[in-house]
Amino acid sequence: MGNMLMALTLGVVFGFLLNKAGLTKYHKIVNVFRLTDLAVLKFMMSGLTVAMLGLYAMRSLGWVTFPAVPATYIVGNLVGGLLFGVGMALAGYCPGTCVAGAGEGKLDYLIPGLLGFLTGAVLFGLTYPSVFPAISRLAAYGNVTLGQLWNVNSWLLIGLFAGMSLFLFYLIDNGMIRRDRLAVGK
Amino acid sequence: MTKIRRLLAQETWSPYLAGGLLGVVGLLAVGMSNSLLGASGAFENLAGILGKAIAPEAFDNLYFNYVMPAEITWSVVLLIGMFFGGMLGAATAGTLRWRTKPDEQWQSIFGPSTAKRWGLAFGGGIVLQYAAGIAGGCTSGLAISGGMLLAPAAFLFIAGMFASGIATALIVYRRSY
Repeated sequence: MGNMLMALTLGVVFGFLLNKAGLTKYHKIVNVFRLTDLAVLKFMMSGLTVAMLGLYAMRSLGWVTFPAVPATYIVGNLVGGLLFGVGMALAGYCPGTCVAGAGEGKLDYLIPGLLGFLTGAVLFGLTYPSVFPAISRLAAYGNVTLGQLWNVNSWLLIGLFAGMSLFLFYLIDNGMIRRDRLAVGK
Repeated sequence: MTKIRRLLAQETWSPYLAGGLLGVVGLLAVGMSNSLLGASGAFENLAGILGKAIAPEAFDNLYFNYVMPAEITWSVVLLIGMFFGGMLGAATAGTLRWRTKPDEQWQSIFGPSTAKRWGLAFGGGIVLQYAAGIAGGCTSGLAISGGMLLAPAAFLFIAGMFASGIATALIVYRRSY
């Protein structure tokens, strides 16, 4: 029960943050792919940096054990990502931002959006045995982290990611990565 | 206090602030529930629940029984919370209302037709969900949650997503890209 209350609370904060970051808007999502508004990239990279630092620090202190690491099977992860990007650029949302946007009263998110996800979920579940086992066996490395795979210290990788993020933020915010066409036709 | 109130009433926050706080939410999910944030998995659970109610035999399979059980999981409750979180975010900024009109930028490229928007919103949802199934998660469950654990899968997914997202936007927007 307490666990479910935690899920509900974290969900509310998650949806709230997606809304406040503007990620529940079609143009915010599409414009990161048009490279005219990189808020989505900033949001993802700052979230990842904070979470990586915190998570590995918490584990070093013995406060947490890691949940199951998502499995790496190169072909499936990559093909799934490629297909996902097409859907995201067409619809202007991903599963999480569609749900949060539906809560804001956007009917295109609430009705066709959520129905689309449910339909996709049914299709995936029913075709799972003939699709997933095969693709998840291609170039499969199991539930590894980059540190384990490359046999390097995870802190080095985290430092690298954090440094790369800060450098990218600096370039973006100083106008060194910029495309000026914002809204279409303007 | 007024500072916080003013911040809450703002429609759009700095993506650094919102993103950083999302990182904290991801940490709390692991620390408090030993769970990972995600969204697409919950749709699988929900599809199983609905499917079993409508066509029990067709949905009585390995997938909906064991892989993504047809149950109200932690992720489903998280997803319900996200709905209300979006609502709360809009309410605090005074933008909460039913909206049938698609985004202005959408209209400038696809025209004002609601049917077209609904068709692509539905089709896009199917593609997104199926893709997340193949990849092993979506932007939250794989990119963010896997990324924070330093799972190679997350970075492969992100690379694929940006590559095809940019290519798709190029095709859709053509001269306006």
